[in-house]
Amino acid sequence: MLTFLRRRIASSAIPLVVVILGVFYLARLTGDPSNLYLPLSATPEMRAEFAARHGFDQPLLVQFGDYLAQVFRLDFGESLRTAEPAADAVLRAFPATLQLAGATMILAILGAIVVGSWAAYRPNSLADRVASFTSTTAASMPDFWFAIMGVLVFAVALGWLPTSGTESAAAWVLPVLTLLIRPFGVLVQVVRGAMVTALSAPYIKVARSKGAGELRVVFGHALRNAAPPALTVAGDLTVGLVNGAVVVETIFGWPGIGKLMITSILQRDFAVLQAAVLVTAITIFALNIVIDACYALLDSRVRQGVTT
Amino acid sequence: MITTPRRRQAASALLALGTLLSAGACSVANSGPEPSSGSGAANTVRIVLPEEPPTLEPCDASLTATGRVTRANITEALTERDPSTGQLQPALATEWKQGAPTEWTFTLRKGVKFHDGTAFDAKAAAFAIDRAVGSKIDCNVNGYVFGGIKLTVTAVDDATLKVTTAKPDPILPLRLSFVEIVPATTSATGKVREPIGTGPYKIAKWDAGRSLRLERFSGYWGKAPEFAAAEYVWRGEGSIRAAMVKSDEADLAVGLAPEDGAGDSAVQFPNNETSYLRIDAAKPPLDDLRVRQAINYAIDKDGLVASVFAGLGKPAGQLVPEGVTGHSAAIQPWPYDAAQAKKLIAEAKAAGVPTDTPITIIGRNGIYPKAAEAMEVVQNSLNEAGLSVKIQMLDVNAWLEYLLRPFPKNAGPTLLQAQHGNQAGDAAFTMGQIYGSKGAQSSFGTPELDDLITAGEQASGEARQTAFAKALDYQNKDVVRDAVMAHMTGILALSKKVTYKPNAATNDEMRLADMHPAG
Repeated sequence: MLTFLRRRIASSAIPLVVVILGVFYLARLTGDPSNLYLPLSATPEMRAEFAARHGFDQPLLVQFGDYLAQVFRLDFGESLRTAEPAADAVLRAFPATLQLAGATMILAILGAIVVGSWAAYRPNSLADRVASFTSTTAASMPDFWFAIMGVLVFAVALGWLPTSGTESAAAWVLPVLTLLIRPFGVLVQVVRGAMVTALSAPYIKVARSKGAGELRVVFGHALRNAAPPALTVAGDLTVGLVNGAVVVETIFGWPGIGKLMITSILQRDFAVLQAAVLVTAITIFALNIVIDACYALLDSRVRQGVTT
Repeated sequence: MITTPRRRQAASALLALGTLLSAGACSVANSGPEPSSGSGAANTVRIVLPEEPPTLEPCDASLTATGRVTRANITEALTERDPSTGQLQPALATEWKQGAPTEWTFTLRKGVKFHDGTAFDAKAAAFAIDRAVGSKIDCNVNGYVFGGIKLTVTAVDDATLKVTTAKPDPILPLRLSFVEIVPATTSATGKVREPIGTGPYKIAKWDAGRSLRLERFSGYWGKAPEFAAAEYVWRGEGSIRAAMVKSDEADLAVGLAPEDGAGDSAVQFPNNETSYLRIDAAKPPLDDLRVRQAINYAIDKDGLVASVFAGLGKPAGQLVPEGVTGHSAAIQPWPYDAAQAKKLIAEAKAAGVPTDTPITIIGRNGIYPKAAEAMEVVQNSLNEAGLSVKIQMLDVNAWLEYLLRPFPKNAGPTLLQAQHGNQAGDAAFTMGQIYGSKGAQSSFGTPELDDLITAGEQASGEARQTAFAKALDYQNKDVVRDAVMAHMTGILALSKKVTYKPNAATNDEMRLADMHPAG
């Protein structure tokens, strides 16, 4: 297993370097931040002084060298916009996103296992058709529309939930529901498909003939074999959420990493953008390694491949 | 080799993940401020902004996102401009006089204290001015109001401040109304996020990313404001801001558009912004006066305001609105005359002007509500008049490349979608930068217009009003460097629990002292 982890970490290092290079150079292609940070009536001399003070007058290669040296010292620079260390802004926003993404994916996976297995247990039954229709609708739902409608119905019309914010447990309901709906729809379909195949396999008949209960047959035997495809899709969906749920964060005022990255891009706040992308990329690589390790746990063929 | 039983390991992992998430959930749920249960009960006014202030740095208070929280609430200036009358009023200075053309003396208010208990005096005022004007910390107010003007500031005694300029500056007291006063203990080498001021409110808690709470300063020199506290939150989506007022989560929401659905809570106010198209008059076919006149005739301003802006706005003919020194009462909006526009383009074409050269409208997404739709209407009108116009919508920074010098090379003739707000109340803050030959935002000017602008800048009193109005008249008749569209209207949502009358300065300066509990 350690060999497996070493290999995966080594193979993640190259894309990480590409990400660092890419975000640094692409951000600087978007224009000179002095236009944004100085008033329209600022003189050309003021703009030149600003550029010099922040090193934007240096060749890109020199700026990149300075940036790399800073990163190795774990210094991500200071936000041009908020005059605080970029790392503070990122480390404040990222946990908020992780919590939202984590809560969403746990609920989506548990819900999809129950509903998908229920639908697969009696293919083409009424339950299966209802589950298929619901999951297809959920997977196709535009999140911004669902979010706004949710606010209008549950906050404004009924007054059951707050419109937005993070101050109370009730404030989590609409953001999580909005984020949940699409992964839930997709995962129900994946679990259902995998479970239909698993439940018709010969070993299920063997288990039943040995007198195993239906719950054990479905969740003990069939689900374990149906899990890898669902895990693959759940992993991709989780990575998408960890990357920032921009729509949900913007609508509900959730202080997460997606909103921070968008603001940093629009405001050419390079230090914060670079730090946010770096932290997110490292997390996604770590997440992928965890998912691969889960494969190894679930599938002995993968495990054997890992240990040989 | 894996030796732990798989089931137990998976269960442990799930348990650990669940614990982590639930702990995290609690931390987010508990990290916000105490939920407020209505403004009346807590005597707190709840305000929802479009964005979090980047900082509350007083020398950046000319930035909208900073100024509407900081100015006149946390910090104060020596003077302040009444947005309804345009008159300069005493604030931390009680009076001022011009002893010589380059010298102003300010008498400072006595008995004023900063939030940390230290006394306000001339030394503090001198420090604050030196920190904001011409320093190395990139203060926004320096470029916005002073534009390279050098000041020499001297504390004569505790209550007397002398300010000397290199050249005569008739509007120095007005410029200083933008310099917020901070104590000498404030960093002179870097910006501060949470300043100390003399204002009626002090910062109680800034929970970055979530909320900001100000509380009444018991040692305030003036009349105590009615609300004991103000709580700011921020939501990027306008419809959510409007919904927060409807669902009693906020008392006041700013920066709304007609489609945000504020309903009965909506309050309209002139926001001091004027929308216009800057004509790139140095390049053919826009270098021909007939073409520029045709562009002005071709735009149906009344139709644009009525249909695209949902009636919010007033067709305009100049960038300097009423109430600002230099406004010309003689200038009326160009009349809509599609036939005249066609005729002028045809005349120019017959005279050899390449009227079929593609012209690009450089638009900016979100510069005002329905910005893209407005440009589509303009594009259609100009194409019908006989020009060949396309649209390119950009984000702010890309758009700024076209707005500010040095302009992009090989860009071809452009019409720039722009909006100008003169918050300072004097045409000097419009004319030079927008219409001067070398203005930061000017792609075209004439020596005659430059002379008229300079005459306005050097004049004072009634002569200043007359000189700037003359420059504007000349621009409108003989230069026609832009197509002014409308004086814009802002919308905010106000709950029935609070009374507040917005004014032309509300977008940039939202005084909590002007807000009162209803009834």
